[in-house]
Amino acid sequence: MKRFISNKYLLFLLRILLGLIFIYAGAEKISDSAGFSISIANYRLLPIFTINFFAITLPWVEIVAGSMLILGIYVKENAAIITVMLTVFIIAIGISLIRGLDIECGCFGTGNQIGIQKIIENSFMFIAGWILIYKDSKLFSIKIHSSSE
Amino acid sequence: MILNYRNIFLIIAISSLIGFTYNFLNPEGIPLIKEERILQFEDEDIQHQESAISDLTDSNKIEDNEHQNNNDSEIEIDLPFSEPVAIKLPRAYELYKKGAKFIDARTKEEFAEGHINNSINIPFYESEKYESVLSTLNKNKTVITYCSGEDCDLSIMLSDELFEKGFKRIYIFYGGWIDWLKAGYPIESLNK
Repeated sequence: MKRFISNKYLLFLLRILLGLIFIYAGAEKISDSAGFSISIANYRLLPIFTINFFAITLPWVEIVAGSMLILGIYVKENAAIITVMLTVFIIAIGISLIRGLDIECGCFGTGNQIGIQKIIENSFMFIAGWILIYKDSKLFSIKIHSSSE
Repeated sequence: MILNYRNIFLIIAISSLIGFTYNFLNPEGIPLIKEERILQFEDEDIQHQESAISDLTDSNKIEDNEHQNNNDSEIEIDLPFSEPVAIKLPRAYELYKKGAKFIDARTKEEFAEGHINNSINIPFYESEKYESVLSTLNKNKTVITYCSGEDCDLSIMLSDELFEKGFKRIYIFYGGWIDWLKAGYPIESLNK
């Protein structure tokens, strides 16, 4: 199993897939900021005055992290950012399911409701993120020369 | 596990900056502080006023029997609202008896399972597809949106959308389908 996970082609694939998914997710949210704001509000978890801060910044973090993953820049760090986001999403969806809310996920803009399926999808991405944090992925990546390594 | 936390912070900070800038420049940008949407309930006084007025016009009609109007059977004073107004079951039923149009904001499937008698379906999440239905409605007449009940926001969101489209007399039936069903008021279902 350890050798399978260490396979550089697998790591590259996970990195690219995760990157593409998050770029797409971020772009969808940006195309309808007001709708995304409403989706966040529907979860009834955040204080109302903070919602728009997240609605404005989160999609861009997704796009930037996704893009950097694809380029192979600071893969571990961006994977960590994405993994933390996924953790928050999974918890939020879980809480909402327990409360019996029938709301939109807001994951890829408007169109799909929350459900066990969402949690499973996010969990797969979460696992991919963890693998990338531990194993990194240097195949076909842009090298950043930093003096403090 | 060694992560460059400084870089993590920078990535998030710069992304956020880009986000705020984009939002500022975007004509469809959203406000930094989201405003709470407070539901405005109809004043009890207004309810009595409107009932009193329509009672008056009813009695006028009985005297004017020779001059028959082919239009509406009701002469209502149709003042526009400043925003959608929430109402509860008794008022909703009263308006139902007067022939107001009910709009179900829930999904097609939920509507098919059961809806208020004579209501139409405009699912909030697919409202773009129902533009043609909307255009058949008279924007000056009273419409009432509803969804499942107190925990459902679809009726509120749909009412805001309709209000922006020019419907100025919108009620939000706060208790919704659940209250209507409990009271045993007229319903219909598309399922056999």
